[in-house]
Amino acid sequence: MKHHDIMPAGQVGRSVPRLEGRQKVTGRAAYTHNLVLPGMLHAKVFRSTIPHGRILSIDTSAAAAVEGVHRVVTGEDLRAIVAEPYFGPAFHDQPALALDKVRHIGEPVAVVLAEDPYIAAEAARLIVATYEELDAVFDEVEAMTSSAIVHDVLKPAGTFPDLKHLVGKRDTNIALDYQLRRGDVDAAFASADHVYEHEFKSQQVMHTPLEPMVSLAAPDGDGLLIHTASQSPSFVRIEIARLLGWPENRVRVKVPYLGGGFGAKLYIKLEALVAILALMVKRPVKLSLTMEEQFFTITKHACTFRIKSAVSSEGRVTGRRCEVYWNGGAYADIGPRVTQKSGFTAPGPYDIENVSIDSYALYTNRPPAGALRGFGIPQLVWAYESHSDMIARDLGLDPVEFRRKNILREGRPHATGTLMHDAEIEGVLEKIAERMNWSAPFDRGEGHIKRGRGIAIAFKASISPTTSVAIVTIAADGCASLAISTVDMGQASDTAMAQILAEVLGLATEDIKVIHPDTDVTPYDMATLGSRSTFHMGHAVRLAGEHARRQLDELAVSLGYAPGAAYAPRDLFKKKYGMQAGNIVGVGSYIPDYTSPAPKTGLSDNITPFWMIGGTGVEIEIDTQTGAIKVLKLINAADLGLPLNPKIVETQLSGAALMQYGFTLFENMLFDEGQLTNGSLADYKIPGLNDIPPVIENHIVDARQTTGPFGAKGVGESATFGVSPAIANAIHDAVGVRLTELPLTPESIFNALRAAKSQAGKA
Amino acid sequence: MDPSIRKIAFTLNGQKVSAQVESHINLVDLLRRFNLDGARESCGQGLCGCCTVLVDGVAVSGCLTLAQLVDGKSLTTVEGLDASGALSVVQQAFIDEGAFQCGFCTPGFVLMTHQLLETNADPDEHEIRDYLAGNLCRCAAYPEIIRAVKTAGDRMRAIST
Amino acid sequence: MRNFDIVHPSSWAEALGLLSGGDEGTRAFSGGTALMLMMKSGFYAPTRLIHLGALEARCSFIEATADGGLLIGAAATLSSVEASPVVQRSAPVIAQAMKKLANVRVRNVARVGGALAHGDPHMDLPPILAALGGEVLLCGPDGERTCPVESFYTGYLETRLSQGELITGVRLPPQAGWRSAYVKCTTRAADDWPTVGVAVSLRVVSGAIADARIMVGAATERLTRLTSAEAALRLGAPDAATFARAADAAAQEAVTVDSASGSAGYKTELLRVYVRRTLAEALLNGAVQ
Repeated sequence: MKHHDIMPAGQVGRSVPRLEGRQKVTGRAAYTHNLVLPGMLHAKVFRSTIPHGRILSIDTSAAAAVEGVHRVVTGEDLRAIVAEPYFGPAFHDQPALALDKVRHIGEPVAVVLAEDPYIAAEAARLIVATYEELDAVFDEVEAMTSSAIVHDVLKPAGTFPDLKHLVGKRDTNIALDYQLRRGDVDAAFASADHVYEHEFKSQQVMHTPLEPMVSLAAPDGDGLLIHTASQSPSFVRIEIARLLGWPENRVRVKVPYLGGGFGAKLYIKLEALVAILALMVKRPVKLSLTMEEQFFTITKHACTFRIKSAVSSEGRVTGRRCEVYWNGGAYADIGPRVTQKSGFTAPGPYDIENVSIDSYALYTNRPPAGALRGFGIPQLVWAYESHSDMIARDLGLDPVEFRRKNILREGRPHATGTLMHDAEIEGVLEKIAERMNWSAPFDRGEGHIKRGRGIAIAFKASISPTTSVAIVTIAADGCASLAISTVDMGQASDTAMAQILAEVLGLATEDIKVIHPDTDVTPYDMATLGSRSTFHMGHAVRLAGEHARRQLDELAVSLGYAPGAAYAPRDLFKKKYGMQAGNIVGVGSYIPDYTSPAPKTGLSDNITPFWMIGGTGVEIEIDTQTGAIKVLKLINAADLGLPLNPKIVETQLSGAALMQYGFTLFENMLFDEGQLTNGSLADYKIPGLNDIPPVIENHIVDARQTTGPFGAKGVGESATFGVSPAIANAIHDAVGVRLTELPLTPESIFNALRAAKSQAGKA
Repeated sequence: MDPSIRKIAFTLNGQKVSAQVESHINLVDLLRRFNLDGARESCGQGLCGCCTVLVDGVAVSGCLTLAQLVDGKSLTTVEGLDASGALSVVQQAFIDEGAFQCGFCTPGFVLMTHQLLETNADPDEHEIRDYLAGNLCRCAAYPEIIRAVKTAGDRMRAIST
Repeated sequence: MRNFDIVHPSSWAEALGLLSGGDEGTRAFSGGTALMLMMKSGFYAPTRLIHLGALEARCSFIEATADGGLLIGAAATLSSVEASPVVQRSAPVIAQAMKKLANVRVRNVARVGGALAHGDPHMDLPPILAALGGEVLLCGPDGERTCPVESFYTGYLETRLSQGELITGVRLPPQAGWRSAYVKCTTRAADDWPTVGVAVSLRVVSGAIADARIMVGAATERLTRLTSAEAALRLGAPDAATFARAADAAAQEAVTVDSASGSAGYKTELLRVYVRRTLAEALLNGAVQ
């Protein structure tokens, strides 16, 4: 790979194997899942069986009578420790246990504590709650106007300026209404040669990390120690301290490796409950969810997207209106951020003069939705890239050619007004077209097996503005430790950050020790999310390393070395302190520049520190007798700047694409009046070895993020973007039917084929 | 004495051990009492393979195995594979091919790969997929896992010839 | 699922004696995978479990019978059936189907007896054994009896196994001259419970179908024999047109049910396709010698 040549011949850009490889293949890597503390109680949650209602009574007597049960706790009991036990990153709307009302089936209502988890589980089954049932709303579009109101009053957290106008609002399910206005979209429609309008739906799905969510809290002196499988230890500390009215330093949060996160373990989930329980019973309390319980805890937004485009007869898109409805479920979690941060990219990576976007976060009586690998982007791309192909085909244009005519190029303004830089949209499109051999003739299959191909491209802005801080400690023998609150959940951040530090300090990556998040020791980091760590923490680590390096240089000069002369750090310490003693501590703190979008127009001249670009090409085969679909080839391409570790980057690309592949083809949370009917891996299937395409290619497009650390930027989500529409476009290419609702099941393909046939019969 | 509790004796990674075991606990619970964390209960339904343990040399789902039933048997967990201090050929191949991300499912995949290569020294891709299809990796390091199995097989055959 | 005891009888008589109390809380098990799932979900809380492990040595046989049929002990693991040369020779369809039937770990511990006793219509083994004309061997307080596999299932998780009775094995008639196939269709992930499972067995004599058995699992509430589809085959030429007639009859006849893996209507259409394909595959598989 040619572009690696311009890297320094050192640590960055090298495919270093993961630092923790040995621990993981021997089963010795530490996860919160396995953690046991002396005197620990196990918590088991009793959950709501109705989607919406007022709690009339909770009878815990039978549960409390079970031998071995330590205590049974309800929401009202929690008030003894925290008067208002509501938490959340965007809204303080979620009670640690239900208070007054329940808002979705599976919501925690009471909790049993016992030394034996089997006893806790058995006792939890004996709790009886009665409710006055209320009308419920499940659909995001219906929630706009429904008389069923999920929250009586909106309670935004106040940390986000764009949520302030929602404080105290009543009788609405709209948790955020984001809008963008650019140019005159109505005029564009009025003067257009063609106008296209379509609606697309995405289903609710779940992250299913194989390490189910787990948190453990223990009283610790006059403070609290929380061990948790979290992607955001710093946020957990801040939020728990807020709930308790404590300074941050009385709350210590530790996170070892995560057995998968994908957004499920972000912000605050189980931590508030175990924190309050531990303070209540003055013992460590551990809450380990089962796979099934995870489905009640956090999910990916179902979404309805209405998209309308004005297009010239040459195939230029001149105007686009986007209406996006996000089904946030019963609690806002980070939904309002998804609504805004993804909302402004809803028109796609295209150069469009006139744009109007309305993006709505809706409360419904479903399990809460939050971030899942892409922060809303895959739902948007699903719509706008299906829409792209529908327009191209109607105009008789090649889908690749249509995109070439419309993509945003270097220096052109995005819908927000931000000028595009370091965004290889074209590079990604062309790489896919090249690898698909797009201009060559294509075998379309025969008999009842039809073949087709499709592509999709997309982009994502980074969540802004966010901060990362890193601390480097050089010991007297010259070795280095790196203290960061970035969570390694499999993306290999330990390795990547060690590579950056090693590069700056001139050490070997393998010799760096990365200290895992422990908020008593590791400094603030906003969270491990949204592919932000490489860029933000990467910069912080670089700055910390440079800070340490500078101090070493100064020490050398003060000890009589000529400026710029080579030295071994250990010699400096020895010379300075007369023995192996002392430290040098380097600190790096990074926050990129950013301009908030203007409230009325949504415009900003600096909406993101960097763009992630991803695209997908697929070749598929359809069995027209059954609707069965086989993906034969999956080609992923992304602009991630210069790769810090090419091999790990490739694994990230194929892993992201295969995750979205499951969301595209079969993953689907099925509900019957708010009751989830397939909440286990027996009935909610995720991709296994026999599902993955026989050919998978991952391409790192030649690019450099000029503002990134060593030219790099994030990559964890980029390959998710294009998978769904690429496959839907290929289905249309193969058999001429257009699906507008995910997942793309054999049955939906079969039904569409049948409908097309009967339509043709009538004509 | 409570009839639901029994003393069982078994061999654990080559060591003879015994334990007082309640009837309802499963094999993963039992291993936890011996501070072995490599087998993990995830889906709880025998579908993900995170809890794989070898009982008398045969792979089973620890989460679906009642602990009392391993009385008299010989168990191998992932921790037993590098008892000599050196990684097994399979473990090294997983590292070299980067065949994992979060690592939670990895012990199960490693143990199943040992089983596969014991019965089929040179599996083709189709056989690898079929044999390991009962193990799930949500990070989807599947292409790398297939490569690791092939690499391990190649190296094992090279050693034995 | 606490406070039960596990007992280990050393003979059939002892096992039957333990079961004779008629207590709902007492159940026999061997592999235990299905039982564990029911216990974990809170669906079943036993007071006593009878582990048939000690009987395994004398009940895990897989052997050819004198008449050329096959006898499989209830305690034979699915893995051992898959690997058995006797099975591969006299009923190759069983060995072939095993690989798609469950994952390796489940096949290592799940037993033929349990696979028959469970009564979930999504199990793959019952339609195969039924299409081969198999009989379930049972023993109980009143002695031994047999029941054809095809009529063993009376509803969802319901069988003709009486309280106090145990499955000791399954017996297959001679398969010489029969051509068989089983096709499992999944509609979500590749490895899943079947959405439709079709097992067929047919005998072609002098260019005409002399005899046929067609069983459907998963798509229907219980294992179902498709007799009108069989009738559509009888005496016809083993060709696409005959198979299509049988497929249409099957779609007409089977009462499919909605589930998370597909609507009833879709399953009927899948059944139509898969009856045809399974028949064609059976033809291709050739007759057992």
